[in-house]
Amino acid sequence: MDSPQSILKINNIEVKYHEVILVIKGVSIEVPEGGIVALLGANGAGKSTILKAVSGLLKHEDGRVTDGSIEFLGQRIDRMPPEKIAKMGIVQVIEGRRVFEHLTVEQNLKVGAHMRKFGRSIKEGLEMVYHYFPRLYEKRNEIAGFISGGEQQMTVVGRALMTSPRLILLDEPSMGLAPLLIHEIFNIITRLNQEEKISLLLVEQNAKLALNVAPYAYVLENGRIVMNDSAEKLRENPDIKDFYLGMTDLGGRKSFRDVKHYKRRKRWLT
Amino acid sequence: MDLFLMTLTTGIMVGGIYALVALGWVLIYKCSGVLNLAMGEMTLIGAYVSLSFYSMGVPFLLSMLFMLIIGFILGILTERIFLDRLIGEPVLTVIMVTVGLSFFFKGTLEFIWGTDTRSFTPPVFSIEPIRIGPLVIGQVYLWSFVAAIVLLVIFVSFFKYTRWGLAMQATADDEMAALSLGVSARFVYAAAWAIAFMAAGVGGTLLGNINGLNISVGYLGLLVLPVVVLGGLNSVPGAILGGVIIGVLQNFCGAYLDRYFPGGVKEIAPFAFMAVFLLWKPYGIWGWERIERV
Repeated sequence: MDSPQSILKINNIEVKYHEVILVIKGVSIEVPEGGIVALLGANGAGKSTILKAVSGLLKHEDGRVTDGSIEFLGQRIDRMPPEKIAKMGIVQVIEGRRVFEHLTVEQNLKVGAHMRKFGRSIKEGLEMVYHYFPRLYEKRNEIAGFISGGEQQMTVVGRALMTSPRLILLDEPSMGLAPLLIHEIFNIITRLNQEEKISLLLVEQNAKLALNVAPYAYVLENGRIVMNDSAEKLRENPDIKDFYLGMTDLGGRKSFRDVKHYKRRKRWLT
Repeated sequence: MDLFLMTLTTGIMVGGIYALVALGWVLIYKCSGVLNLAMGEMTLIGAYVSLSFYSMGVPFLLSMLFMLIIGFILGILTERIFLDRLIGEPVLTVIMVTVGLSFFFKGTLEFIWGTDTRSFTPPVFSIEPIRIGPLVIGQVYLWSFVAAIVLLVIFVSFFKYTRWGLAMQATADDEMAALSLGVSARFVYAAAWAIAFMAAGVGGTLLGNINGLNISVGYLGLLVLPVVVLGGLNSVPGAILGGVIIGVLQNFCGAYLDRYFPGGVKEIAPFAFMAVFLLWKPYGIWGWERIERV
């Protein structure tokens, strides 16, 4: 992808946990300004680690970017503390709907506005969040630990929105939600991208969904990028179809006995 | 009946002081997960600082204020110097460091102020008791209670209504998520220690007014444990209620049981009570059981 004005540039990074465990082995990703990029991959491929490397949360888990660099709007951020990165306009929505369980929905949102100093802009932020998530307005005085999973996901995204971000790192927003809710949330995410001009780096296991939303995607396996292309091309790719979209070349159902699964998969890992 | 009422009121008033110290303890535990065993020495430091100012002729309220400022600074320094580098280390390591801190503080205190019992002279509060209906209350107790309540209200509204208070609550709930929103964890920890130091200092000063001040006031640091266990380790209202309950319990034991078991029932009772209480309510009164949706 050779868009000249990219908002985020990950250049060939290597990530180690506890100084010894190599998790990411040379990954480069680029997110264009105002674009949506999806990052696909199986469990344990390292998707979340990449997001944490960008947002700086990695340092809190005793992980470190040991090689390569991460640039946000041309500025190197891989050595900055997380609160500074957040201040620059990057916010990560951590996977698993981590609401502040003992606070109300509105208090949750207000924590998101922590970096805004003035009461008025907090009010504007709240209005914007309630505009996109009317359901949160109804639930605003309820304790976040007790609302439904979908509402918690909305709270978490809304909370991220309160930081007035330029780039949202979204980690598995669909996890454990009903299909209808997933649809609703993805709709809102696309609207946010179009109307508020917020760029998105989206991590998903649900490849079908992700490829519908994001025009461009990377596929991560074992800490390496094994494929990156536009969504249409990826959708047509036989391997992606097989491993991520659950279809065969013939389009019909198939027996998994017929697939030399491991052999084909191995090809990617070189 | 008279004895009963008297004991009850005294208990509640002393309990207010316990509540204040317990609040500081809970705050540190909630925000940073540190089980602080140096709380007693922190109360002592605060008490001695305000005593020193007071004996230099500074008015009592002003010396309290100076003590608050010094407590604030000491709290931040303690966190920065000793605890900051322990973030992410095993819990036991951190606890042992607080034990070490308590010895360090105690040694420093004895070095500076000696081990003799000192009192606030001239007495801050007049010895003349106040009568409210059938109740007779010592002024020391009454004013200590009032001071404790005022500070409790200030601290609690700080949590409820300020940006930083909210950030502290959020960090206590889910540190990672708070970090992702740009909340600085280092600031939150430092703030927790600063507030705890201030609360402890006020508690120590008030207790020192009641009984005179020596190293044994630091026993409060141990007494804070049954208080917070009772209230639930991470509950602010729990700490306040626990403080009052323990205060009342202690005074009742002193008044009624001392005759039969002479020598220190008062000191032991809270711990015995804690042990029994834990059997049927291991989370305390308002401790967090994990919220789980069904």
